[in-house]
Amino acid sequence: MIHAENVSKRVQVADSELCILKGTSLEIKRGESVAIIGPSGSGKSTLLGLLAGLDEPTDGDIWLAGEHLNALDEDGRAALRLKLVGFVFQSFQLLPGLTALENVMLPLELRGDRRAAKVARDYLERVGLAHRLDHYPRQLSGGEQQRVALARAFAPQPDILFADEPTGNLDAETGASVNDLLFSLNAQSGTTLVLVTHEPILARRCARRITLSAGEIVEDSGEVVPA
Amino acid sequence: MNHLRWLMREWRGGELALLLVSLVLAVTIVSGVAGFADRLQRGIVGESHKFLAADLVLKTPRTLPDSALDKLPSVVERALVVEFRSMVVAANAMELASIKAVSDSYPLRGELTVSETPFGAAQTTLEVPASGRAWLDSRLFPLLGLEVGDELQLGELTLIAERALLTEPDRGTSFYGMGPRVLINAADVARSGVVQAGSLVDYRYLFAGTEEQLQAVKTSLQPELTASERWQGLDDSQPQIAKTLQRAERFLLLAGSFGVALAGVAVALAARRYSQRHLDTVAVMKALGAGSRQVTSLYVGNILLLAILATLLGWVLGLGVQNALFAMIRDLVGFSPPAGTLRPLLAGAITALLCVVSFALPPVLRLRSVPPLRVLRRDLGNESLSSGVSAFAGIGGLFLLMLWYTGSIELVLAVLVGVSAILGLAGILVLRLFSAMRGWAQGAGGVLKLALSAMVRRRQANAFQVVSLALALMVLLCIIAARSSLMKEWQLQLPADTPNHFLINIAPEQVGPVNDWFERQGIDSAGVFPMVRGRLVTIDGRDVQEIPEIEANRGSVNREINLSWSDELPGDNRLTAGQWWPDASASLPRVSVEDEFAERLGIAVGTKLGFRIGGLPLEAEVTSLRSLSWDSMRPNFFLLFEPGVLDSYPSSSITSFYLDATDKVLLNDLLRQFPTITLIEMDAVIRQARTVVEQVSAALELVLVLIIGCALLVGVANIQASLDSRLHENAILRTLGASRQLIRTCLLAEFAMIGLVAGLLAGVGAELCLYLIQTRLLDMSASWHPLFWVVSPLGAAFVVAVSGWWFCREVIVAPPLQVLRRL
Repeated sequence: MIHAENVSKRVQVADSELCILKGTSLEIKRGESVAIIGPSGSGKSTLLGLLAGLDEPTDGDIWLAGEHLNALDEDGRAALRLKLVGFVFQSFQLLPGLTALENVMLPLELRGDRRAAKVARDYLERVGLAHRLDHYPRQLSGGEQQRVALARAFAPQPDILFADEPTGNLDAETGASVNDLLFSLNAQSGTTLVLVTHEPILARRCARRITLSAGEIVEDSGEVVPA
Repeated sequence: MNHLRWLMREWRGGELALLLVSLVLAVTIVSGVAGFADRLQRGIVGESHKFLAADLVLKTPRTLPDSALDKLPSVVERALVVEFRSMVVAANAMELASIKAVSDSYPLRGELTVSETPFGAAQTTLEVPASGRAWLDSRLFPLLGLEVGDELQLGELTLIAERALLTEPDRGTSFYGMGPRVLINAADVARSGVVQAGSLVDYRYLFAGTEEQLQAVKTSLQPELTASERWQGLDDSQPQIAKTLQRAERFLLLAGSFGVALAGVAVALAARRYSQRHLDTVAVMKALGAGSRQVTSLYVGNILLLAILATLLGWVLGLGVQNALFAMIRDLVGFSPPAGTLRPLLAGAITALLCVVSFALPPVLRLRSVPPLRVLRRDLGNESLSSGVSAFAGIGGLFLLMLWYTGSIELVLAVLVGVSAILGLAGILVLRLFSAMRGWAQGAGGVLKLALSAMVRRRQANAFQVVSLALALMVLLCIIAARSSLMKEWQLQLPADTPNHFLINIAPEQVGPVNDWFERQGIDSAGVFPMVRGRLVTIDGRDVQEIPEIEANRGSVNREINLSWSDELPGDNRLTAGQWWPDASASLPRVSVEDEFAERLGIAVGTKLGFRIGGLPLEAEVTSLRSLSWDSMRPNFFLLFEPGVLDSYPSSSITSFYLDATDKVLLNDLLRQFPTITLIEMDAVIRQARTVVEQVSAALELVLVLIIGCALLVGVANIQASLDSRLHENAILRTLGASRQLIRTCLLAEFAMIGLVAGLLAGVGAELCLYLIQTRLLDMSASWHPLFWVVSPLGAAFVVAVSGWWFCREVIVAPPLQVLRRL
C-alpha cells in the first residue's frame, strides 16, 4: 500500500542544513496497522507528512497505492489523498466556522458525494455524537472534538488513515476512549493505519511498530498481521 | 461544492461581515454620493441657468434676420428679451426706467416673482405681461404716483400698470438692468415707437434644450454673427457662481474618491484578516484532498458572490442616501432634484469589482498556495500573505479607481504623492521608532516595558496598522481642511454686508450731499471714487486699432473705460509689478493698470498709453500693475492715475453701499433728492449667489459625514486585523498571572502609541497633500494648519486607545481558557 525507498528530508535552518530524515525505506501492506514511535524531533511527523503526500522528500521515492508520489504535483497528490486518505490530527483541525455535521461532511462534499449529509450523520452517530450535530467545535470538549475528527476521517471510507498523535491533546481517560473508538472504526473498515505516537500503550495496539531516532529507523517490529 | 452553501457557512465565521460592510460602503459612496453630487450638480446648474433665464443666450445689438432664426432646430425653446432705457410718464411725474420687453415664452428657465400691490406679498409666475400691460418695480409706483390699474405712457404707447415686479431670474446680466424696471410684452416695442435706428438697445435671444441642441443652435447662427455679438453661458453670466460650482464639484469628487479609497483600504484589511484566518482551513481542506483549483474556485466564488451582494445592498443604500441627502437639504436647495441616472449605479458596480480585484482578491488568491503540510507545522504558509503583490495591486487599484471616479489625473497624483510620502515616511520612521523602542523597553519598567515590548514584537503588524490608520486620518484631515478653507473663502467673498447697491453719475457738487445723506441714514458706503470716461487709443505709440495681437480683446478698447485716480493703493488691490507712484519724477503722468487687463492688451510696466478723454489727448506711463477682486462689490478700476492728472477733465463719481432689503424704501428718498444719479441694484444677484453657496455647503457637510464613516471603518478593520494575536498574547499573559488592570493599561498604552504615531504622520501627510490640493487643484492660496500637529496625534491616540480597548475587552473580561480555545 505504501512503499518508501531511501527517503531523506533536509531543511535549511539559518546558514546550515538540517537533516530530519536520513535514507529511510519501508513497506506497509494493505490493512496493516503501523505505529511510528520515537522521541521528539526524531522525524516521526515528517515521515508521516511525506508518506501522506503532504510534503515532498529531498531524496528518495514514495509510492502510495501504486502511485509514484514524486511524479505528481501538489494537485495530483491532493487528488490522490481525496480518493484514498483520511487524517486525524493532534490538534483536531476542525474548521471553527462549521458545525460538527458540516465538518464531517467536508471531505465528502469535496468528493462531490451527494449523500454527504446522510453519511456524516451516520458516522457522527457511530462516534456517539448524534446529539451534537449542530454544535460548533468551540462548543465541544476536546474528546468530543477528536471524535468528530474521527468521524470526518472515516466517513469517506479511506484506504489509508494517517493519525498524528491523535490523543496527544487529551487526558488519559478521554484519550483511551478515543483510542478505542479509533481502533474499533479501523477494524470495521479494514483501513490501513499509520499512526505517529509517543505513547507506548497506544503503539502496542498496532500490529507493527517502527522506531525512529535522529531521522533513522532504528527498529522495525516487522510483524505483518492483517488488522 | 455548492458556492452559495459555502458562502453561508463562511459567513458564520464572522470575518466576511467586515468585508461586506466595506464593499457595501464603497458602493454606497459611489452610487450614493456620486449620484447625489450628479443630481445636485445638474439641479444647481439648472438653477443657475435661471440666472440667464435660459441655457444659452445670444447677446446682440440688433434683431436677427428671420431667415437665420427659421433654420434653427424646432425642438429648441426660444424667447426674446429686448432691453433699453426710456422715460415713462404718468399723470404727474416721469422717470427714466429700464424697459424690458419679453416674448410670451420668457423665461425659459426660472420664474418671475410679482405681487398684486407694490411692496406686497410675493408670488411666482411663469406668465409675462399681456400686450398693453406693464409690470413695474414696486418703487416706481410711489415715484410716479401710480396705483395698480392706472395708466402710464411709454413713447406713443399707453400701458396699464398691472402688477408690481419683484424679481426676474436674469436681472443683473445687462447694463440696462440698472434703474427701476418696467416689464412689457415684446409685441409692444414697435408700437411704442421708442426704439429707432441707432437707439441703444440690447437684444437677447434665449435658448433652452439639450447640449446637442444648443450646439446645433450655435453652429447654425455662427455665420450670421459679427464681432459685437456674443454667446452667454453660465460661465459668462455668473463667473463667481460658476467658480463656486466648479470648486464644489471638485470637492465632492475629491471627498468621494477619498471615501472610496478609504473603503478600499478597509476592504484590503478585511480581506487580509479573512485570508489570515483561513490558512488553517485551506491547509485542512488540502490535506483532505482539495486541489488548488478547488480552493481558488471556492474562495474566489465566495468573494465574487459577496461583491454581487454588496453591489445590490450598496445600490439600495446609495439610492437611500441620495434621497435622504435631498430630503435633508430640501428647504435649502429650493428645487426638486432631477431624476437619477443609471450611471452612478453602474459606477457602484464597477467600484465593487475593482475593489474586489485589487484589494480583496490578492490576499485571497494567495490562499491557494498554502501548503497542506501546515496541518502538521503551523509555521508554514504564513509568508504567503505578506507579499508586495498585494500592496502593488492595492495601490494600482486605488489609482485606477480614483482616476476613473474623478477623471482628474492631477487630483489622483496629488493624493498619491501624499500617500507615497506618508508611506515612505511611515516606513522609515516606524522602523526607526521600533528599533529605538527595543532599547527603551529594556530601560523601562512595569506597564511601559510590557507595552513597548508588545509594540516591538508585533512591529510589522503595527507598522501596517500605523500606516493605514495614518492614511485614514490624513484623508479625514484633508477633507476637513479643504472644506473649511473653501467655506471660509466663499464667506470671505460674500460677507454679510457685501455692498449690494451702486450709485454712478454722481456729479462733483453732489459728492458732499450724497455723503451727508449716507451719514443721516447711518449707511456705510465703500467710499466715493471720482471717475472720468475715456478711450485708450495708443499703446507705445501704436494705434490700438492697428495692433493685430489684441484682435481677440478688441472689446476692451472699443469702448469708453472708467478712469480714476487715487493717492493710496485701494484696500483690496495688490501690486503685482512695479511700484505705487515711485518717488522719482517722471516725464509723463503715471498710471497703474489692472494686471489681467494689462495681460490682454500686452501692457507692462514702462508701457506708454495714449488716451482720448472728452476729445482731449493724454499720454501716461505705466508704473505698476495691480490685481484686484471684482467680486468684492466695491468700485474698482482697470486704470488708476496719480492724483492731479485727471483734474482738468469732466468727472463724475461712483460708490457702493449695503442696504438691507427692509430698508429699500429709502432708495425712493435718495432718488428723489438726486434724480440725476443712476442707481444699480445688485442685491438680487448677491442673494441668488449666496443661496447657491448655502446649498453647496450643506451638501459638502453631509458628504463629510459619510467620509468620517469610512475612516471609522478603516479604524475598526485595522484594530480587528491584529485582534487575534493580541487576544492570544494577552490570554497567555493572564494565564501566567497578569492582572486585568495590567493588561488593560498595557493595551491602552500600546494602542495610544499606535494612534500617536499615526496621528503625527497623518498631520505631516495632510499638510503636504493639502498644499498640493489647495495650490494645484482648488486654485486657492496655501495655508498651514498648526492645529493638525497637536490635535491629530492626541486625538488619534485617544480614539485608537479607547476603540482598541473596546475591541480587545474580551481578553480582559472572558476567562483566558475560553479565549485560547476560541483562537
